Amino acid sequence: MRHTNPWLTALMAACALTVLVPLYFTVVTALKEPAELAGAGFGLPADPRWSNFADAWHLTNYPRAALNSALVTVGAVVLTLLTNSLVAYAIARNLHRRLFKGLYFYFVSALFVPFPIIMLPVIKQTSLLRLDNQLGLILLYVVYGLAFNIFLYVGYIKSIPRALEEAARTDGAGTWTVFWKVIFPLLAPMNATVGILTFLWAWNDFLLPLVVLSSPSARTLPLVQYVFQSQFSTDYTTAFASYLMALAPALLVYLFAQRWVISGVLRGAVK
Amino acid sequence: MTTSRAYYWMVLPALVLFLVFHTVPVLQGFYYSLTDSPGYGTYGFVGLRNYVNLLRDDRILDAYLFTFRFAVVATVLTNALALAIALGLNARIRFRTALRGIFFIPNVLAILIIGYIFNYLFANSIPAVAQALGIEALSTNLLADPGLAWLGIVAVAVWQAAAFNIIIYLAGLQTISDDVREAATIDGAGSWRQFRSIVFPLIAPFFTINMVLSLKNFLQVFDHIVALTNGGPGTATTSVSLLIYSGGLEGGEYAYQTANAVVYFLVIVAVSAFQLRVLQRREMSA
Amino acid sequence: MKRTALFVAGVLLITACAAQPADTRVTLEFFQFKPEAIETFDRIIRDFEAANPGIHVVQNHTPTAESAIRARLVKDDVPDVMALNGNGVFGELASAGVFYDFSGTPSRVSPPIQRILDDLGVHRAGERNGMPFASNGNGVIYNKDLFERHGVRPPTTWPEVVAAARTFEAAGVTPFYGTLADAWTVLPAFNALAANAAPPDFFARRAAGRTSFAAAYPAVAAKLRELFGFTQPDRHSRTYEDGNLAFAQGKAAMYLQGSFALPAIATSGPRFEIGTFALPATGDPAATWLVSGVDVALTMPREPEHPRESLAFIDHLLRPEVMTAYAREQRAVPPIENAASGDPALAGLMPYFKEGRLTGYADHHIPLAIPLEQLLQQFLIDGDQARLLRDLDREWDKVAARSTS
Repeated sequence: MRHTNPWLTALMAACALTVLVPLYFTVVTALKEPAELAGAGFGLPADPRWSNFADAWHLTNYPRAALNSALVTVGAVVLTLLTNSLVAYAIARNLHRRLFKGLYFYFVSALFVPFPIIMLPVIKQTSLLRLDNQLGLILLYVVYGLAFNIFLYVGYIKSIPRALEEAARTDGAGTWTVFWKVIFPLLAPMNATVGILTFLWAWNDFLLPLVVLSSPSARTLPLVQYVFQSQFSTDYTTAFASYLMALAPALLVYLFAQRWVISGVLRGAVK
Repeated sequence: MTTSRAYYWMVLPALVLFLVFHTVPVLQGFYYSLTDSPGYGTYGFVGLRNYVNLLRDDRILDAYLFTFRFAVVATVLTNALALAIALGLNARIRFRTALRGIFFIPNVLAILIIGYIFNYLFANSIPAVAQALGIEALSTNLLADPGLAWLGIVAVAVWQAAAFNIIIYLAGLQTISDDVREAATIDGAGSWRQFRSIVFPLIAPFFTINMVLSLKNFLQVFDHIVALTNGGPGTATTSVSLLIYSGGLEGGEYAYQTANAVVYFLVIVAVSAFQLRVLQRREMSA
Repeated sequence: MKRTALFVAGVLLITACAAQPADTRVTLEFFQFKPEAIETFDRIIRDFEAANPGIHVVQNHTPTAESAIRARLVKDDVPDVMALNGNGVFGELASAGVFYDFSGTPSRVSPPIQRILDDLGVHRAGERNGMPFASNGNGVIYNKDLFERHGVRPPTTWPEVVAAARTFEAAGVTPFYGTLADAWTVLPAFNALAANAAPPDFFARRAAGRTSFAAAYPAVAAKLRELFGFTQPDRHSRTYEDGNLAFAQGKAAMYLQGSFALPAIATSGPRFEIGTFALPATGDPAATWLVSGVDVALTMPREPEHPRESLAFIDHLLRPEVMTAYAREQRAVPPIENAASGDPALAGLMPYFKEGRLTGYADHHIPLAIPLEQLLQQFLIDGDQARLLRDLDREWDKVAARSTS
């Protein structure tokens, strides 16, 4: 009864290849000479050309872009976890009040506002407030993330029995202490989910950095790929080296934290 | 018990920031849609003229038709594929954890960059392979054919989006205890009947949320198109988001395209409203 | 409260990173749209900074410069000095009064070239909202070795163009290299044909509603289609970058691009001599005009933050030796009077500059909201000429109706 199904295993492995083949292609292309590109291009490079990476590194000023991406992503994740959970807690515990219920729908409804409506006003506003930089991006991710995160957190907090808080309250703890000492630690699974989703969003986003950032020195990794697309010119091997370097950090983080990432998303989804 | 004052302080800063960075821009956007502003300098109030012109513009209609066709097909394919793979991963197979890990990879990659990589594959590698194998249909660049380019975008979108939905479906499948399934097996229910009458109803809430979010995301498709076709060939793959961005910023018709964005918003709300109701019903029962 | 401390530390870190280092010099932002000219401009900036120690110039290059500059206008944060392509967007922004009026600044620019820029649009009659820095010639680039080998001479009439293409085709050589995956690359050929095969006063008459694309543009459309029929089969799959490389590798005899493509072709190290000619569209060699545009125009905000420094930098850029050096590196024509480019690749175009047989780009007169290049790209896929002309007329009318109440 407990034996595995070899045919199904083979089928799933074949499906997994559709994920791996484009990645394999990216890696081998990044290591080729331009002259080796003729044909389908799935073969291995004759002699790995590591200088493609050096070229892409200098051309896109990789360290700068990677630092910007890291700064924005870490800032967005940390601030989102600390603030969005707090807001969700206040809403979840007062959903019987019209004001808080209204707030819940007010925030969640933003999920359906297409970005183009607010694009130009936001460009104007961030520039006016001197937030057309990394700090502004962090703020926007935290604020725009509210819509979906409140939805996730509120559902989760409702399932936490109030008895736990009551016990702390009888010990004389205020609402803030209850949140930080009792609720926030209990939110760990949902924090993992929200943290992962925010990380992926901020790290991979393109349109918001494109319109918000003014200074070239503030550009993030995806934006840099876009900016240098024309300069890669026909040098596809350098372009692929650059793509690979832009994808690598998230990919590496994922490889090392894979179990944790997936179980975070899994647990978050079941709430 | 009165509401603790602390609760108000907890929501106030977020509310203010949300007002400033979201609600005010929405209202400003709506206001601009009633003007002839190019986005800078002086402008005049023109009432509903932009909206009237929208109705007469067949390019706008084309963009909506493309966007809906793309979003519906991509949503259905993504969810069908994700559900199938999730069922496969949940069955008795070897290397389950490793395979699960692989299937999630596309979700951690930036769509723009994925798009550039697939752009190259469509233009060079796939035609070369197809020519070698003698497959006529794929021997030219899919993205260069106005009638088929949208399928290339669907392929990349599904490739990337299925990853996340697989995990959500897996989460749903794991809520079903083996007892329930085994009871059904003993009853002699066939696999398809077992899936339809037992498994699917239990993961229906996960299905709902995946469908709502997929459709909403695909209706706003932008990055994929910038990297793959930039709206072409011709205007065959110009999505509403891309049209608003390019017409508003590059074409200099900011106010007009903002009116388009407002209409787009209403359309998305209308589509989602019915789906949201399903969601709320689920919230009640939860 | 460990988390609060973490949060405060985070914010401090971010603010520290965002802060600018102190510098007593005046910093000018120089916004330019040409990726291939980044190094050339870097050198010019170095020279300028050496001569003006109080001024620091930061070069900012962005793709899709038009949307970037619009976004900057929305932010009310216009760069101090701008090098922009002299196209429709430039005309629109100049008309809107975004740019400085240079009419009081002495100029060495050749009058016909200044006129091409001013024709795009100025804020008020008599103003000069930009200074031409480099001109381009929009002709046909050709491979002299292939021409010689197959006994073909640069065509001077339309029938000769077709005959040359047929000769190459019969010899198994791709006559033209097509790069239609980038829709805009259809424009050089379109502009050359529009300049020579359509009535010269077409746009004024179209605006007045006295003619239509359907009536005046069939010849342009038919010839465009014929030209692209002589390109390689995967023309719809190839990009501008692919084309530059392929042409440099000798994969086609001719390339329908302006002189601005020459530097990119040169980077791929072609092993043959390159020539240019103006694309004829009629049977009369004397009727051919060269389409020339202001490839790079310099300008600054109407109310500059650092007027003295910005003007000093523009003045430096406009020195004949700087313009000539730039033109030599970027294969452009300096827009000064009697300027002759010594570039052998441009020799075929120089007579037109000398005789002043220059005309502007037709597409700059077509409103930006009309997706011209996309419609042309579509036409070259489906070949439906009636539909192209109908769509152009319909888009024109729609956009005209939207911009007047």
